[in-house]
Amino acid sequence: MADEGLVSHKRDPLKSSVGNVAAHRRRQHAVTIGKERREAVVRTKRLCRVGISEDSDVSIDNDMVLDEEQSILEAQTSSAVKELKASVAYQGKGVMQRRVSAIRELRCLLSRSEFPPVEAALKAGAVPLLVQCLSFGSPDEQLLEAAWCLTNIAAGKPEETKTLLPALPLLIAHLGEKSSLPVAEQCAWALGNVAGEGEELRNVLLSQGALVPLARMMLPNKGSTVRTAAWALSNLIKGPDPRAATELIRIDGVLDAIARHLRKADEELATEVAWVVVYLSALSNTATSILVKSDVLQLLVERLATSNSLQLLIPVLRSLGNLVAGDTQTSNVLVPGHEITDNAIAALIKCLKSEHRVLKKEAAWVLSNIAAGSIEHKKLIYTSEAVPLLLRLLSTAPFDIRKEAAYALGNFCVAPTEGAGKPTLILEHLVSLVGRGCLPGFIDLVRSADTEAARLGLQFMEMVLRAMPNGEGPKLVEREDGIDAMERFQFHENEDLRNMANGLVDKYFGEDYGLDE
Amino acid sequence: MAMEITQFLLSAQSADSKVRTEAEGNLRQFQEQNPPAFLLSLSAELSNNEKPTESRRLAGIVLKNSLDAKDAARKEHLVQQWMAVDIAIKSQIKDMLLKTLGSSVPEARHTSAQVIAKIAAIEIPRKAWPELIGSLLINMTQQDGPAALKQSTLESLGYVCEEISHEDLGQDEVNSVLTAVVQGMNLAEHSPEVRLAATRALHNALDFAQTNFENEMERNYIMKVVCETAMSKEAEIRQVAFECLVSIASTYYEVLEPYMQTLFELTSNAVKGDEESVALQAIEFWSSICDEEIELQEYEIAESGDSGPPHSRFIEKALSSLVPMLLETLLKQEEDQDQDDSIWNLSMAGGTCLGLVARTVGDAIVPLVMPFVEANILKMDWRCREAATYAFGSILEGPTVEKLSPLVHAGLEFLLNAMKDENSHVKDTTAWTLSRIFELLHTPATGFSVISPANLQRVVGVLLESIKDTPNVAEKVCGAIYYLAQGYEDAGTSSSLLSPYLPDIITCLMTTADRTDGGDSKLRSSAYETLNEVVRCSNITETSHIIAQLLPVIMNKLGQTVDIQIVSSDDREKQGDLQALLCGVLQVIIQKLSSTDDTKRVILQAADQIMILFLKVFACRSSTVHEEAMLAIGALAYATGLEFGKYMPEFHKYLEMGLQNFEEYQVCAISVGVVGDICRALDDKVLPYCDNIMSHLLKDLSSGELHRSVKPPIFSCFGDIALAIGQHFEKYLSYAIPMMQGAAEICAQMDTNDEEMMDYGNQLRRSIFEAYSGILQGFKNSKPELMLPHAAHLLKFIELVFRDRQREESVTKAAVAVMGDLADTLGPNIKILLKDRAFYAEFLGECLESDDEQLKETATWTQGMIGRVLVS
Repeated sequence: MADEGLVSHKRDPLKSSVGNVAAHRRRQHAVTIGKERREAVVRTKRLCRVGISEDSDVSIDNDMVLDEEQSILEAQTSSAVKELKASVAYQGKGVMQRRVSAIRELRCLLSRSEFPPVEAALKAGAVPLLVQCLSFGSPDEQLLEAAWCLTNIAAGKPEETKTLLPALPLLIAHLGEKSSLPVAEQCAWALGNVAGEGEELRNVLLSQGALVPLARMMLPNKGSTVRTAAWALSNLIKGPDPRAATELIRIDGVLDAIARHLRKADEELATEVAWVVVYLSALSNTATSILVKSDVLQLLVERLATSNSLQLLIPVLRSLGNLVAGDTQTSNVLVPGHEITDNAIAALIKCLKSEHRVLKKEAAWVLSNIAAGSIEHKKLIYTSEAVPLLLRLLSTAPFDIRKEAAYALGNFCVAPTEGAGKPTLILEHLVSLVGRGCLPGFIDLVRSADTEAARLGLQFMEMVLRAMPNGEGPKLVEREDGIDAMERFQFHENEDLRNMANGLVDKYFGEDYGLDE
Repeated sequence: MAMEITQFLLSAQSADSKVRTEAEGNLRQFQEQNPPAFLLSLSAELSNNEKPTESRRLAGIVLKNSLDAKDAARKEHLVQQWMAVDIAIKSQIKDMLLKTLGSSVPEARHTSAQVIAKIAAIEIPRKAWPELIGSLLINMTQQDGPAALKQSTLESLGYVCEEISHEDLGQDEVNSVLTAVVQGMNLAEHSPEVRLAATRALHNALDFAQTNFENEMERNYIMKVVCETAMSKEAEIRQVAFECLVSIASTYYEVLEPYMQTLFELTSNAVKGDEESVALQAIEFWSSICDEEIELQEYEIAESGDSGPPHSRFIEKALSSLVPMLLETLLKQEEDQDQDDSIWNLSMAGGTCLGLVARTVGDAIVPLVMPFVEANILKMDWRCREAATYAFGSILEGPTVEKLSPLVHAGLEFLLNAMKDENSHVKDTTAWTLSRIFELLHTPATGFSVISPANLQRVVGVLLESIKDTPNVAEKVCGAIYYLAQGYEDAGTSSSLLSPYLPDIITCLMTTADRTDGGDSKLRSSAYETLNEVVRCSNITETSHIIAQLLPVIMNKLGQTVDIQIVSSDDREKQGDLQALLCGVLQVIIQKLSSTDDTKRVILQAADQIMILFLKVFACRSSTVHEEAMLAIGALAYATGLEFGKYMPEFHKYLEMGLQNFEEYQVCAISVGVVGDICRALDDKVLPYCDNIMSHLLKDLSSGELHRSVKPPIFSCFGDIALAIGQHFEKYLSYAIPMMQGAAEICAQMDTNDEEMMDYGNQLRRSIFEAYSGILQGFKNSKPELMLPHAAHLLKFIELVFRDRQREESVTKAAVAVMGDLADTLGPNIKILLKDRAFYAEFLGECLESDDEQLKETATWTQGMIGRVLVS
């Protein structure tokens, strides 16, 4: 203990000798090498030999030594590119066959390991050769293999993805109707990887006209092509510029196709399509207003009610929330009394009950958006099972879910504003929610460091103080330690919150408070 | 029930060793036979004012040592022992201790305060002594209570705060403690002794004041009192008050803004005119502010976009006054400060702080420092030249290369000439500055270096000449060579530049290592470690023949150490140190030469001789194995591969000895690592040794004695063994799996507020996953069904880790990989399990969105494996 007095604050001097640090580093280095070797051993055991597409004709030759070290793989890759170069230059007998088998060899190498030797392929100059192999009039097999190689390269690091730039026009060209389906799908796959890389590459793709052919690929009824196209599209319209999303929804047949797939498709395809809807509704107001007027909302609600796939439910919920929040006339669609509205609320309640926090949070968010609507909307949800669930979430859930639940509950108590001034209260809701014990949850939010949540809590407290019958508000707030919670804001740096809290304390707990008892 | 033990306690301090031993024996016997009575007797002795001071003091110390120990296992035992004491006796002891705080004998008071804190450390977290704080505070509120009582009460409060966590006290208690402590610092009311105790107590209580520092009024009050105390008449009180300010700087950085003007004046006056002990703390205040801002900046870069805690830019704002103040301190060197590493004075603290300031503000510091450098670098007084050089060396980290490179280019030749300065301090600092230049501004791999083909010869020439200078200068020159060589690591063709000089450099370093004027072994160790770096970073194709020639020279030297005549334990220690350095060199040479097939031959040819040497080194000691030799053997195993099998019959006993070395846990950890190396070298040929190895590893894991840091490597090692022996791991499964599951349970219950614990938890999690990965992959082709019963538990553990918000990326990687291994090995068998635990989709989603390419790739692989299972 402190027998020696306080420990002095000596820190390591800047000027010191190299010996000790060096020995320590050397030992660390030796340990690190051991770890790297362990990883290498496990990695070779884990080697993934499955290609990206499900084509079954591409079974890998099992005689190949599968446990190669990465360096061998890289060496093989360089020589495969060399062979490809030779085959491209070669003009003699069997040229097609030689070329195809050279690209296939490269593709196998690029698909074999979970760490594909992309760098080695690029260094050896693969991209220009592959672009040459994509030239018009080439046999389908060659196009497929070349696009496949490019797909795997595009899945690499950002700078590796960028090397595809010279290949993009041809990949887009092969999306057209004249191409065979496997070729078009493989090209869509490559482009989807490129679009996923970032805004810059998305803009390039859009300016080169990738949107329309990809959209057309989404129109047919089924098949992996449709799914791949939808996936690539959702990557392509990610924004942040909303123009692509707006353009997409305006393309003939797209809205129909979206509705059709949401209605009929299997869950995997529906998932990809739902992601397209997420980005459409998140980015483009035009798209939102078109979607709201279509069957899509109804279909999303149905999916929400019937599916158990988390992968599908997440984009569906998010789409639904975007549509409800983005459209001021939600009431036009989710009209109280209509079956769709009841179904939507029932489905959302299902999500509130789910185990998954993402679902709970998103569902509470969607409900708060609906609860922000008309009095009828509020009453409708208010009488549903949602309220006890939201109340429970408010008192027990993690913070982010609690906040969404609080928004929904708060919205129940406030009528839509007409003109300026303080919002009108729906006293009946307020009294009953307070009676069911929601006040501590809101006061808890006041204590949080998140100013948005704190403001929400304060606003709710204000309603309680102002409107609870028989002047009961102040007593309730005091009993739940609300005064203490507000006094934390006495010197808060956020002026707005500070004034709000201080104002409430002064007004309801000023000098006269408690005198009349 | 208390016994009279005064005589024993006095005899235990007797000069006569026979008397002493007998008394100690009696005390120990008493302690073992009846611990409660023993504790009671000790406290009775301590509290009795009629007893001699000597016996009371020893009673206090023995009492303290009966409640706490450094060793964790012993400590736990003592805690249990205290908890088992009858409650009536415990409260009797506590009453006596509290009473002793008012004793007239200072030593009794002081010891009692310490013992109270030890009991508090056990009882307060268990809510077993709720009245303690109240009792102590009563001592403080008695209007005219004796000063001595207040002093020891404050001492006690301080120690208690030091022992417990701030979560153990209620806010009311914290408030009362702080009030009492801050009042105790009041100048008007209290004696210097009381104020000193109060200030020390505040230093320990600062961590508790979180809520109080959030409240502006309370904060203002505390700050006012601390600042006033920092100007006390008594230097010792001033020093502690500044220590409080240092703590406040790091704990409450975000609320300091309003006080900075005052704090600047206060620290500035202290640095300029106060006693050194106080001035050092004043500089430390600014160093701590730098620490905070550097951390904030790193955080900003890492999390750009998120609004983190506020960065108040205090250093930037104070820069123009702060830098001159620090530069002044550089001129206050002490003679001979370079000879002793333990010296810490004003100039060293000032330079260190200046270095931190440079890292905080970057380019802005350069124009403030360069005029000082230029004004002083040519002066007659060596202090001026040294200070100028030190200032220049201090600011090399932080500013941009663009800003520094013209200055360094212009100054390099000057510095090289300064290696001939008449003053040794100047040469020492110059060599250090050169090492900083090479460390920070010499990275040919990225295209920038102050070294060019044109000046390299001159640079090497000067360094090799100066390495013959006095030992302290030579040591700094080693540092310069170290970083010069390091710059050429992975530098492609640039690394050829150094190759022609390698023979001379190596020769000079070997000569330096052999010098006998170094006093201690510091110079030798610097020389050998520099040699290691030179070898490690050299261009292998051009230098392999030189390194190959170095190998027998080092082997020869190592051979000679075995024959050194050992007379004293001092000789034994020197032999061990020298062997450590030489084994280190061998490790690096083996590593280097085995990195290409061409050069590996050299190692393979010498492997037998090398191994014989290592075995001889091991034989030099009877009970322990040599850490560095073990490390080098790991490298040799990797180089020789299957061939290493022939050394195992002789070597395995040393390996097992290493695995059983609980006391020197680093040795144990390295031995565990070597098991991994050997597994990879021998594959299933390691099988005959596995029974013993596994039994040692399992014993290690169950031991409470072994340092916990070794346990994660052991789990990883399970994975290594399983990968090597495949299906043969079956017989260990029923032992290993429960251990892994047990460790997984421990992970689930860890205290998430303890950062160090979390760090350990992350290592443990990763290693458990590595163990599972190895075992799963090992069984994949032969006996996958063996792991089926354990899949549910593993999956549950993965989910638990997935839900942990403080999860580290490396843990994530291991977790997602093992999920793939599970699917890869067990296939359709786990389809239902996966469907029940749908978190995997969310987890994969998170990993696929990561920026880490390796993680994304692993997740993609796992996704593929799981996909295959689900469609099957």
